[in-house]
Amino acid sequence: MFLSGTGLAEEQPGLKNQDLFKINGFVSQGYIKTNRNNFFGHSNNSGSFDFREIGLTASLRPTPRLQLSGQLLHRRAGEGSSGGVHIDFGFMDYNFINTPSAEIGIRLGRTKNPFGFYNDTRDVPFTRPSILLPQSIYFDRTRNLALASDGGQLYGESRADWGNITVQFGVGYPQVGDRSTELSLLGQIPHSGNLKSRASYLGRILYEQPSGRLRLAVSGSQVNTGYDSGEGDILNSSGSVKFYPVILSAQYNAERWSITSEYALRHFRMSNFGDPKFEQHLTGESFYLQGTYRFSPSWEAVLRYDLLFADRKDRSGKKFAAKTGYQYPAHNQYARDFTVGLRWNITPAIMLSTEYHRINGTAWLSSLDNPDIAHTEKNWNLFAVQASYRF
Amino acid sequence: MKGISDFCVWGALLFTLLVTLTFADNALSSSDGVEAVVHPGTETHTLSRNLLRSIFSMRLRTWQNGLPIIVFVLPDDAPLHSRFAKQKLNIFPYQLRSAWDRMVYSGTGQAPFVVQTEEEMRSRIASTPGAIGYLDDSKIDDSVQIVHISE
Repeated sequence: MFLSGTGLAEEQPGLKNQDLFKINGFVSQGYIKTNRNNFFGHSNNSGSFDFREIGLTASLRPTPRLQLSGQLLHRRAGEGSSGGVHIDFGFMDYNFINTPSAEIGIRLGRTKNPFGFYNDTRDVPFTRPSILLPQSIYFDRTRNLALASDGGQLYGESRADWGNITVQFGVGYPQVGDRSTELSLLGQIPHSGNLKSRASYLGRILYEQPSGRLRLAVSGSQVNTGYDSGEGDILNSSGSVKFYPVILSAQYNAERWSITSEYALRHFRMSNFGDPKFEQHLTGESFYLQGTYRFSPSWEAVLRYDLLFADRKDRSGKKFAAKTGYQYPAHNQYARDFTVGLRWNITPAIMLSTEYHRINGTAWLSSLDNPDIAHTEKNWNLFAVQASYRF
Repeated sequence: MKGISDFCVWGALLFTLLVTLTFADNALSSSDGVEAVVHPGTETHTLSRNLLRSIFSMRLRTWQNGLPIIVFVLPDDAPLHSRFAKQKLNIFPYQLRSAWDRMVYSGTGQAPFVVQTEEEMRSRIASTPGAIGYLDDSKIDDSVQIVHISE
């Protein structure tokens, strides 16, 4: 549908039609092995090859002001992402102003949510610092909710000698129709209805030094979902789940090393489901500190400490465990993940990476991969290898 | 509170490591000449470093006369690419790559055209109105025009 480029070459002498149309893509295959608990498939015991990402990205820029972009994604990652081809994004971008000192524009369609440093390109192995993004902020469990929105986004950029400021603000409908998101939000409550998407708001302000050494960002969002009750449902249709994450991000880039840190407060509110026992509001807390060291352009190492508390007023999870009558262990409520990884860029197009995680707590485990979430193990290790190719 | 104290320990370790590495960081930078070059029809003889950076990071889309800017680069691992990024743009090649990848894979921009050799770079720039790229001093001839950096 992007291929109707006739006549464009005449308007831009020297450019061939195909120059206005660009295709990129990537393919990756991962292997994950855990000693206890499951992550991305049956990773315990024999290990899991159930982690694959294939993407095809196209963009057409018929004039400097207008760009049409789309990406198709096939992703398998355990029970949470079981394959199929999905429209990752697809939108029209119109640039009203683009001068040396400023840019203003609008994007309409399905756009990636500008959350923190990595959400916009979270499924592209080459853009990640490690095979798995820090799970405290980039949950793979509720990824669809965070991934993209259908709606509109205004953006602007100011460029000056002291740095560039990029602002994005969007209104759109999040994607809630998958089982992983539903289980994560509604937890263990038996229900027969479905979450439904409601208008949600999000924004990010990013500051970058002209040299790109220092990058700072604040992202915030109000994600709204409603509920359609099913047959004989104990949950009421007037119910809503609201999610208000705020993320502070900072990065420093030197020639050989980069240091990145992000901190998030994630306020979660469940209300009007018809029974006071389903009323819930709590604030989760996430933090990671990550160092990357580039030995050479082709070899780099990453070291990270990642911390997640499902409820910042109950960091040990003891109150939660008591409330469930000790049916669920306290370690379901937190996760500390120490990661060390190595990446080899064999060519600019081929990458091999590996990493090892020592994890205490299970707060970001998916109950789809671990159906018996009440009997997860507190201390566990994860080893991963991934091969990626791009064009 | 165990998490916080854990964090402090790891943070301190990481910080020490990074400080140590900083001193090893002032790697040698070659002084061999490399210049930004444009299509001769581009009425541009000087650009500020910031503007040049905006162009090569694919933020700025048009020249002042409205002509689209067409950016050519060598592959990420080409020594001249690295020299140009560091000397003329004052950024590192991996930062350019990250910036392009963020745009391409979120649909918010496009990556530059990659050419394999300096000869190809020169002939593509010479034949493409609005084109910009870079060449080693020894490869520059009258088919392209040098752009100097104004501070």
